[in-house]
Amino acid sequence: MSRLRGNVRETYDMPDLSFAKLVYPDRVGAFIKTATTAAGASVIEMQEGDDINELIRRAYPNAKTIASNVPGVKADLNPDDVAKPQDLDGTDVSVVAGSVGCAENACIWIPQTMKQRAVCFICEYLVIILDRDNIVSNMHEAYSRIEMPELGFGAFISGPSKTADIEQALVYGAQSFCGVTIILR
Amino acid sequence: MGNAGFQGKADKLVADFDELFRGYDYVVAPSASCAAYVKIFHPRMAGHECEAAGKTVDLVEFLHDVVKVESLPSKFPHKVSLHNSCHGVRELGLSSPTERNVPKFNKIRDLLQLVDGISVFEPERPDECCGFGGMFSVEETGVSAKMGLDKLHRHMATGAEFITGPDSSCLMHMQGIAAKQHLPIKFIHVAQILSAGL
Amino acid sequence: MSTQHSRKANEFVKDTAVVDRHDATFWAVRSRRDTMAHEVPEWEDLREAASRIKKHTVTHLADYLEKFAANAGRNGVQVHWAKDADEYNAIVLEILRAHDVRKVVKSKSMLTEECGLNDSLIAHGIDVVETDLGERILQLLGVPPSHIVMPAIHITREQVLECFRAHGIIEKEGRKAADSMNGDLDKLVAEADPTFLTRCARYHLRDNFMTADCGMTGANFGIAATGEVVVCTNEGNADMSTSIPPLHIVSMGIEKLIPDYESMAVFQRLLARNGTGQPTTVYTSHFRRPRPGSEMHIILVDNGRSDILGNEDHWQTLKCMRCGACMNTCPVYRRSGGYSYSYFIPGPIGINLGMLRDSDKHYGNCSACSLCCSCDNVCPVKVDLSTQIYKWRQQLDSMHHADPMKKTMSEGMKVMFDHPGLYTAALRMAPLANHMPSWLTGIAMGPWCEAHDMPRFAKKSFHQLWKSGLDEK
Repeated sequence: MSRLRGNVRETYDMPDLSFAKLVYPDRVGAFIKTATTAAGASVIEMQEGDDINELIRRAYPNAKTIASNVPGVKADLNPDDVAKPQDLDGTDVSVVAGSVGCAENACIWIPQTMKQRAVCFICEYLVIILDRDNIVSNMHEAYSRIEMPELGFGAFISGPSKTADIEQALVYGAQSFCGVTIILR
Repeated sequence: MGNAGFQGKADKLVADFDELFRGYDYVVAPSASCAAYVKIFHPRMAGHECEAAGKTVDLVEFLHDVVKVESLPSKFPHKVSLHNSCHGVRELGLSSPTERNVPKFNKIRDLLQLVDGISVFEPERPDECCGFGGMFSVEETGVSAKMGLDKLHRHMATGAEFITGPDSSCLMHMQGIAAKQHLPIKFIHVAQILSAGL
Repeated sequence: MSTQHSRKANEFVKDTAVVDRHDATFWAVRSRRDTMAHEVPEWEDLREAASRIKKHTVTHLADYLEKFAANAGRNGVQVHWAKDADEYNAIVLEILRAHDVRKVVKSKSMLTEECGLNDSLIAHGIDVVETDLGERILQLLGVPPSHIVMPAIHITREQVLECFRAHGIIEKEGRKAADSMNGDLDKLVAEADPTFLTRCARYHLRDNFMTADCGMTGANFGIAATGEVVVCTNEGNADMSTSIPPLHIVSMGIEKLIPDYESMAVFQRLLARNGTGQPTTVYTSHFRRPRPGSEMHIILVDNGRSDILGNEDHWQTLKCMRCGACMNTCPVYRRSGGYSYSYFIPGPIGINLGMLRDSDKHYGNCSACSLCCSCDNVCPVKVDLSTQIYKWRQQLDSMHHADPMKKTMSEGMKVMFDHPGLYTAALRMAPLANHMPSWLTGIAMGPWCEAHDMPRFAKKSFHQLWKSGLDEK
């Protein structure tokens, strides 16, 4: 510490960060476009009278194991109840709630609101439920809105896990989920 | 000398330069990298402002920004491919660097387009380095030659008869490789085109 | 006249197909990066802000580190300090031993590479499994990374297939992988299909995530205001590594600190756009507290960084966030490959960091730069990379690493430029060289003539023309 202090010759102030930032007149439209192109996710816009379980079932008709602790979502496994995170392995679809969406890059903030956060990553497919009113334009707005939950973990997630490590060929489904469906309500 | 790591050996040259050109309003250089070196590095080496270095401009800058040439009586009825040299682009600002999100401009193209009959092209990767780099070309022979060859092929792919630019060193480097490989492309300095047919 | 880098690079460029593929691969990344940069109107404002936030933070680093450590402690995280690589490796080993750890799953961390952690752990009988696909391939092949963000991009799909086969991964996971794609196993193997190979690795690594006793990650950012770390990946391997095993160890260089969320937004917007040409990494994960019933440790590593802070010419390398963009844009890196550099970080930032690490070992990389300054213009935090390389070159002579031939040439130029009479005479004589036989000038010009024909000198110099009133046409 003393060496760090001693080695500073000149100090610099924090810059002003109030420069103009990218904003979208149609945030929801921009979000859907980024999510379905760059991020590689699917988006379902929930309509009046739609049943959430019906939408999930329709998106993933072959799913045998669904894991979730979101109220109102029918699930076979609950990440609050499993004895250990390994018990969630083999989950076909996990359903989680996002609190803020960001139009510029399709990031969705997923706060850890379940005991075993492995549920968010271990599944083959992830369903994220997001309120359209919670979509902002850019990451500056997103960071000013997000809240860290009591459990002390949260992640911005943008589409399925990806890799291009083998000859730059883009492959969905590296170590985590292979596909994402966002349900906008 | 500086690029090779012997900036110290150029101290007298820097002082002489300042002495020699002190009384002039502008010092105009026909080679962008030379102008850039004088302008940027001379004051750093001398440790103070250099009067002559401060007045040094590249020929393109001089014609475009100082004289503000708006028409030329010259004629050059040929297809040319424009070589945007690294130091011209990134140190002197003769054109907008492709890396940056700034409005597009190119002062060399602006001037060339005043010449009657000319067609100006730019290669794919318009401001990638040609691999000269002074001492770099004798120290890193393999990479330098490969960069030069790649650049030549991209210039030639435009269909141009001539490669032109404001930087003599890049032109000399590419000309050397083209001659060795017997590539059918000619070289001409921007100044020669601007004055063609006068 | 050659350097450690140029000798290896001269070998690398001999295979035109390999060098062209390498160049095209990284130019494609650079082009995607340009597209991203042009889609954000405030791009240059972001770069300026990022540069200044980093300047501010590293010049107030002691204060921010204290704040960070205090907040992390309050969050229930155990904070350790390591002054160098040995101390760091010892701390990791101690934590692992205290938990009787046999297997560690690791997400990509350049810091662990810098400190030689894997070798240290393996020597102590701990199974270390890299979980980034590229890193895992390299680990199985037993070769180092050739790029910091896309470490295995120089390996072909056929080599990956061979490697997976040799390690029994195809035999064990191939059927499951083929079924997951509804594909034909034999056909996928014959084609060395990248999706198939990725799926094989997915199941192979899944087993390791399930059975590991500890997950290790690096940190892209540490946020002083909250005491949390941020890890950015595309594969989700950092999240898999940390959400299953009961122990999470974060290794973080002290320069990774930033003040707060407001700053984080600036860097989050720049990192992936600049590094890989994506609008974001898939995962931007914030770790603030240990998982219920598990432990989280953060090791803050100096390993020479506080000395760099005191280096007037090179302290700004501490701003670097390891996005890799300077490598992708570097025309020399693209045509010489990562293995031509002696330091494990190649390209412009690697030349500088290698010299700061051990100049006797890495001075041979200083030639790998044509001073085109492209790196300076892509760098999201405005590190003055090319200026720094120029400055290293000025120091090589006093370090006794200057090339003798280059020195002779520079001395020759000095004599000539210091005596204008000599310069004028030489200029007048130059056209004579046009008439010399090429074998003679070839000898005189040495390495230049390996690739170039002799330059043709004009019959009259510009000086002569100017003085005679431009009368010769």
